[in-house]
Amino acid sequence: MEHYNMNLTLKVWRQKNKDDQGRFETLQAKNISSEMSFLEMFDVVNEELINEGKEPIAFDHDCREGICGMCSMHINGRAHGPWNGTTTCQLHMRAFKDGDTITVEPWRAGAFPVIKDLTVDRSAFDRIIEAGGYISVNTGNAQDANCLPVDKNKADLAFAAAACIGCGACVAACKNSSAMLFVSAKVSQLALLPQGQPERQTRALNMVAQMDKEGFGSCTNTGACEAECPKEISLTNIARLNREFIAAGFSSEK
Amino acid sequence: MKWSQFFNTSIGKKLLVGATGLFLCSFVIVHLAGNFQLLYNDEGKAFNAYAAFMGHNSLIQFIAWGLKIVILLHAFIALQLTFSNRAARPVKYAVNPGNQTSSWFSRQMAIMGSILLVFIVIHLVNFWGKFHYTEMPTRTYEGSIEPLKDLYALSYETFKNGWLVVLYVIGMIGLSFHLIHGFKSACQTFGLNHKKYNGLLSFIGIWVFGIAIPVGFAIIPVVIYFK
Amino acid sequence: MLNAKIPAGPLNSKWEDYKGHCKLVNPANKRNLEVIIIGTGLAGASAAASLGELGYKVKAFCFQDSPRRAHSIAAQGGINAAKNYQNDGDSVFRLFYDTVKGGDYRAREANVHRLAEVSGNIIDQCVAQGVPFAREYGGLLSNRSFGGTQVQRTFYAAGQTGQQLLLGAYSALERQVALGNVKMYNRHEMLDIVKIDGKARGIIARNLVTGELERHFGHAVLICSGGYGNVFYLSTNAMGSNVTAAWKATKNGAYFANPCFTQIHPTCIPVSGDHQSKLTLMSESLRNDGRIWVPKKQNDTRKASEIPEEERDYYLERRYPAFGNLVPRDVASRAAKERCDAGYGVGTSKQAVYLDFAAAIERYGNIEVGKRQITNASKEEIIKLGKEVVAEKYGNLFDMYAKITGENPYELPMRIYPAVHYTMGGLWVDYELGTTVPGLYSLGEANFSDHGANRLGASALMQGLADGYFVIPYTVGNYLADEIRTKAIPTDHPAFVEAENKVRDTINKLMSIKGSKSVDFFHKKLGKIMWDKCGMARNEQGLKEAIEEIKALRAEFWRDVRIPGEANEFNPELEKAGRVADFLELGELMCIDALNRRESCGGHFREESQTDEGEAQRDDENFSYVAAWEYKGDGQYELHKEPLEFVECKPTQRSYK
Repeated sequence: MEHYNMNLTLKVWRQKNKDDQGRFETLQAKNISSEMSFLEMFDVVNEELINEGKEPIAFDHDCREGICGMCSMHINGRAHGPWNGTTTCQLHMRAFKDGDTITVEPWRAGAFPVIKDLTVDRSAFDRIIEAGGYISVNTGNAQDANCLPVDKNKADLAFAAAACIGCGACVAACKNSSAMLFVSAKVSQLALLPQGQPERQTRALNMVAQMDKEGFGSCTNTGACEAECPKEISLTNIARLNREFIAAGFSSEK
Repeated sequence: MKWSQFFNTSIGKKLLVGATGLFLCSFVIVHLAGNFQLLYNDEGKAFNAYAAFMGHNSLIQFIAWGLKIVILLHAFIALQLTFSNRAARPVKYAVNPGNQTSSWFSRQMAIMGSILLVFIVIHLVNFWGKFHYTEMPTRTYEGSIEPLKDLYALSYETFKNGWLVVLYVIGMIGLSFHLIHGFKSACQTFGLNHKKYNGLLSFIGIWVFGIAIPVGFAIIPVVIYFK
Repeated sequence: MLNAKIPAGPLNSKWEDYKGHCKLVNPANKRNLEVIIIGTGLAGASAAASLGELGYKVKAFCFQDSPRRAHSIAAQGGINAAKNYQNDGDSVFRLFYDTVKGGDYRAREANVHRLAEVSGNIIDQCVAQGVPFAREYGGLLSNRSFGGTQVQRTFYAAGQTGQQLLLGAYSALERQVALGNVKMYNRHEMLDIVKIDGKARGIIARNLVTGELERHFGHAVLICSGGYGNVFYLSTNAMGSNVTAAWKATKNGAYFANPCFTQIHPTCIPVSGDHQSKLTLMSESLRNDGRIWVPKKQNDTRKASEIPEEERDYYLERRYPAFGNLVPRDVASRAAKERCDAGYGVGTSKQAVYLDFAAAIERYGNIEVGKRQITNASKEEIIKLGKEVVAEKYGNLFDMYAKITGENPYELPMRIYPAVHYTMGGLWVDYELGTTVPGLYSLGEANFSDHGANRLGASALMQGLADGYFVIPYTVGNYLADEIRTKAIPTDHPAFVEAENKVRDTINKLMSIKGSKSVDFFHKKLGKIMWDKCGMARNEQGLKEAIEEIKALRAEFWRDVRIPGEANEFNPELEKAGRVADFLELGELMCIDALNRRESCGGHFREESQTDEGEAQRDDENFSYVAAWEYKGDGQYELHKEPLEFVECKPTQRSYK
């Protein structure tokens, strides 16, 4: 792979805290290697800012291998940037060329308030899981794992849904700030598995109710979430959530 | 979950929008079939008879009023969802992805729907209002017993106005763009998303509801204008 | 004298006996007993969930924005369990034996045996939680093999096993949060332990969003904060992984055991430049199918595809015919380093070896052709089918490799090189996972207990969950049973005030330095010292130099670090500074420990102690002990030895030939 260096102009959202108005700041990123990850480019910019006596840009990141779901930047209008199926930390500077201007914004959603700069509060997702994103089995209650054969196709579908990293790109990408892809991934995973059957109805009803309560928008099936999901969670999960919700709403006696 | 709660959730509301939307889809098919009678070369005999039947049959009248309620319900809930969706993002992005991540049609539902609503009001005033609430010239055809209100002549008269023809074509573009996403979207809301049927649903959504039906509607005023 | 509290009796009944005799707490009393848990990885989340289920009042803390982010999530390959579903001769004893042997006889037998005993329950529990493990067509669980074993006992979920297990534990934890049994504190970092009358009674935590310091009381405190691999700056750990919680425990009297035992993982993506912030692992499971090789000619500059088969040196298969590419991690890492140091490395940096899937692709292609009964399949068809099979097994890893390097691993062999991955050392704990401070426990990677000097692949997930789900609920109960009369201590107690003031002073001191160099500057420098002198190979001279260099670097840090922003706001640089300050102390202790251990064992390779063939040479006579270090003030540590006794698993020279 050919390596090259580039100079870039960054327009980055700066916001001191949740009460601050916030504004864009224009910064120069010089001598950026095409081998760097997008976050490593930010490291370089931050190092520069610190050396100049300025405050570095705050952004969430942790594992830097695309699995923890912490990184969250809206880059040139795209959640996690221009590559499909990729988190910000796995986006590499090969995606850009010398002289580019890159606009970086935080996830924008009322349910994800900005904490500082590019860092947002995604605890709404935890509360949605609290509403039912689990199977109620206390430690020690389990029978032998192989007592419960699971259709391989369903197991594979459940796994594909369970691959969700909870980064919130679906919300960030959706024009309605809807969290349906996130909720549907968890509901689907558990609805597809035999272990998830006992709580199947209450789970769908409660998780959707909590999602609404958190102030996420509704789904208008634009498909932007699927297009931006770093784990490529499918829209079929949203259809499944709808089916689960309808079935539960029409038949549950509570 | 009680019904009131169920239909107050985001999915519950979308189900109402989807259900009303699909009902309206079925209506446009019937409506178009009736309208094509305007193009018969029978001086409006078939069309006026059809109009009289639709205007007087009480079951159909019941459905017709239901239809108006459905349209209002569809528009009301959809707009309510649109406003709450907008409110879900108080600070907007400076840069948006445009068509990179979603189709243009899918993002214009509220706009196209609003165009349609305006169109429907004008359309109702033009024809339904005049048909029911004004003294209209009548016409008696050979073999028919009663004189029929001459909606056929009203149509021909109305569409001699070029501006109205343009308005109708715009209205139908609105319908087209609304249904290109709308039909498939309603199916998805009802959980219809299956590898084996998605091709068919897309075809119906785009080619039948998105193109054939709006074109069919739009042809009528254009043909009348140039006749 | 260290008391490991190992129950008497034969090895295979110790844990049963313990469970049968440990003290219990009745449900009404559990409601009044508070437990603080630091970290929400596999160990922390599973402990929080299990203790919450039992009815204890749990407070769990994590520095990330959600407990689901903990770095257990990044574990790829799998989790071991002695289920013997494959009927290939596995058993609790064999898992125990492999683990002790794989750890180069530096682990405590009783702990390891317990780990093997509960391993099966973990799989049952996780499946019940809805963890979507890989399955066979018949619907039953699938297994694969991992390094250092000759049976297939590794359960997996594609290359995301850690993620799936953590999300299982996380969902159990969130369920307890919903039920009110666990209170979750996200974006909080523990900065000190509060001790009252010699017992751990709470913590001081910093709310990372507001910068406020908070006092939290607990009848017991569990440190589940993971490993300290980031002392090397470049490692496969997450950027935020740190030693701070464990280090504060050390400074409060908990001993730190075997700090020099670090695992260098053989298959990581090589460093590409100075900007690099972390290294990415390519799961060990790849060695099931990938073949590792270098050119037979030194400084060969040809492309991999231009090097004919007979000019390739499959050095692991050559040196270790019995285990081949599946030798344990320490062995594979050293062998790669040996080849690169000798001038056989590949790639621009020459610090890499090839991991080649061409043979596996062809083999799987042929199997598919057979399965589908295709006649006269062309070479291209076979390769295409083979690639599909490989993609199903390792697709996400291959994609990750392609994104990072810009090369297609289905066409070109991967370039890999060892990198710091896991730390076997950690807080010294007894059989009950208790540290030397009463009421202070340590679970998972944060403790030292089960992996000796080298951890086998797919055993970290097993240990984290064993500790959290199946061990701590019993052992902490045994302690808390005596605490039922202790009322919650108000946090205006002088010990809390004092601890908070100490933390505040440290923060103020850091903020007031206003020097000229960033935190990362110091971290990178420390990492380089550690990697060069306390990395894959260590010697006396290098370690002595390293100790002096670290001391000097630490002094410079406290003189010249620059932390922008304020203490009373969201300030990631301040967080980093606190962590690096602790690494600067821990790094020194690692070198002291490495210097003390004048033998090679597992991941610890002292150049002075090797066989004629260059294999690690253990010295059981002098070093068959756990080195537990007691903090005695700045840079001062006292060594306590816990002798290791091997009853069931007699030490031999480890051989994988």
